[in-house]
Amino acid sequence: MNMERESAAKLVRTIIVLLVVGALAAFPFLAPPIYFISFGFMILMYVTLATSWSIIGGYAGYLSFGHVAFLGIGAYTTALITNHFGLHALGTIGTVLPAGLVAAGIAVVVGYPCLRLRGPYFAVITLCFAFVVHLAVKNLSFMGGSDGLWIPSMKVPIEWNRLIFYELMLILVVATTAASAYIGGSKFGAGLRAIKEDEEVAQTMAVNAPALKSLAFALSAFFVGVAGGLYGYYLEYFHPDTVFDVNISILIVLMALFGGGGSWLGPVVGATILSLVNEGLSTFVNAELARIIYGSLFIVVIIFMPNGIMEFFKKRPKTVGENLPST
Amino acid sequence: MNTVLIVQSLISGIMMGAVYALLGIGFSLTWGVMKVINIAHATFGLVGAFIAYFLLNRWGVDPIVSLVITVPFLFVAGCVIYRLLIVPIRRSKEIIVSSMILTFGVAIVLENLLLLLWGPEPRLLTTSYTTKVIVIGPFYFQYPWVAGFLMAVAGVAIVHLFLMKTYTGKAVRAAWQQPEASQLYGVNLKRISMIAFGLAVSSAGAGGVGLAMLYSFEPHSHNLWLIYVFLVVIVGGVGNILGTAAAGVIIGIITGLSLALLPYQWVNLLTFGLLMIILVVRPQGLFRSEV
Repeated sequence: MNMERESAAKLVRTIIVLLVVGALAAFPFLAPPIYFISFGFMILMYVTLATSWSIIGGYAGYLSFGHVAFLGIGAYTTALITNHFGLHALGTIGTVLPAGLVAAGIAVVVGYPCLRLRGPYFAVITLCFAFVVHLAVKNLSFMGGSDGLWIPSMKVPIEWNRLIFYELMLILVVATTAASAYIGGSKFGAGLRAIKEDEEVAQTMAVNAPALKSLAFALSAFFVGVAGGLYGYYLEYFHPDTVFDVNISILIVLMALFGGGGSWLGPVVGATILSLVNEGLSTFVNAELARIIYGSLFIVVIIFMPNGIMEFFKKRPKTVGENLPST
Repeated sequence: MNTVLIVQSLISGIMMGAVYALLGIGFSLTWGVMKVINIAHATFGLVGAFIAYFLLNRWGVDPIVSLVITVPFLFVAGCVIYRLLIVPIRRSKEIIVSSMILTFGVAIVLENLLLLLWGPEPRLLTTSYTTKVIVIGPFYFQYPWVAGFLMAVAGVAIVHLFLMKTYTGKAVRAAWQQPEASQLYGVNLKRISMIAFGLAVSSAGAGGVGLAMLYSFEPHSHNLWLIYVFLVVIVGGVGNILGTAAAGVIIGIITGLSLALLPYQWVNLLTFGLLMIILVVRPQGLFRSEV
């Protein structure tokens, strides 16, 4: 009985997810103004970033403030490979995979010393890592230095260009979210949660914490790197200050925590809401006032929904006393 | 290399580091006592700087004299913020994370209030003695730098003596070491935390005024200031006031030397790289913890 109900609920959830993805995929074909497709691309990118951040930050509780480094590394890898081999559109899109792998590889190397630190120390060291990479790239001439880099654009009309990038990013969102949901339900995810709860206890319960953290950090960086490759190609021209902007790093963390870091759905919801709020505010009120409202939002969310909005709405019926199981 | 230039940079670096230490001690205090990482800490310093700027330009009040107003004002502001914003999250399981996000929100709000009030242009505290210098041998010292440095030394000393000698200060330290046990001995944890928070915010204000005497500032300056605050606090060891002061001097020496010897764009790279190395090698700070 219970299992039947559960599997029915699972079916309903799968159908909802498929409908949402289908609707999102169909959206650009309705020929909306290009602005909406570009905006959709940015929302999808932030969903990818927040979701992949959540693999290390949400499940394992290691708050990386340096994820923008992987975004930039992805963008630079794609640009350098494309320009070196003179690749065309399809080849360039193919380079997002090596971009992700390079990001993951760097994550393993950097993660080895950094993941030994906990709490705010990890947050600070990852933030420093992002600064170091940013400044290094800016000062290295073979990386384009402070002139930035170009990726030759696709030879298609702008509508098609935006549509293609939108759909590619949607594929990445689905892949990232699926990976995150799968990890959440797996033994790997349980190990990460145990690390978040109490790393010492987890270690004594035969959880190989260093290996799990390293893997989670690398996976997380991989998806961000792929997103970075796509973002770089989408931008066509970028500067170290754009793709290594530390504000993106901070925004990713806030989006994931805002939604609730413990589940795969939280970062998706958080990234979507914050992107919409950001865009809405900057359209309707002046910049300073928009930022003040934006800042107040964090204060309100932390005080009234300390575990993110998802938890807030999940718990609510129980605390009011409705919907209690009759058995 | 020019020796005079190097020594000059060293001295300037030490002066700068001392002011960052004053800005950092309060950050260290709230982190240590109540596990609150106040991202808005440097922003409060900036509020202090803008108040000093306002008083100077409106009524010609000297920035150092303006501390008589800034420090009590920010102390009260800190107490109010503690009551309104920190108390609700005090029992949160992940107070470090919650406090970081919450105070990040506070920082954004304050930064944009400053932008609305004063606009984005860089400001300078231009006093009657801004351009005056003391010349000793081949070295010269700008008056505002000397004043900022002396203020920083006095500020750090006052906070240190307060924590070591006064009853309230001892209660703060007791609450830090043994939060539960201190309550058994009659320490009102909530009240003591509030005072510590007020003290932290007001010392940030003083540090901000000090920095404003050294450099120009604008509503976004707190981002860079905060990075230096993290640097001095972590190098000094969280909660270690004298350690923070020493770290300020060390970082000042390093920054001063690298400014003299390296191209400007490599200085920050070195600073962040150094912080990373220190974090990996000695996350507890370079000095033995004081408490």
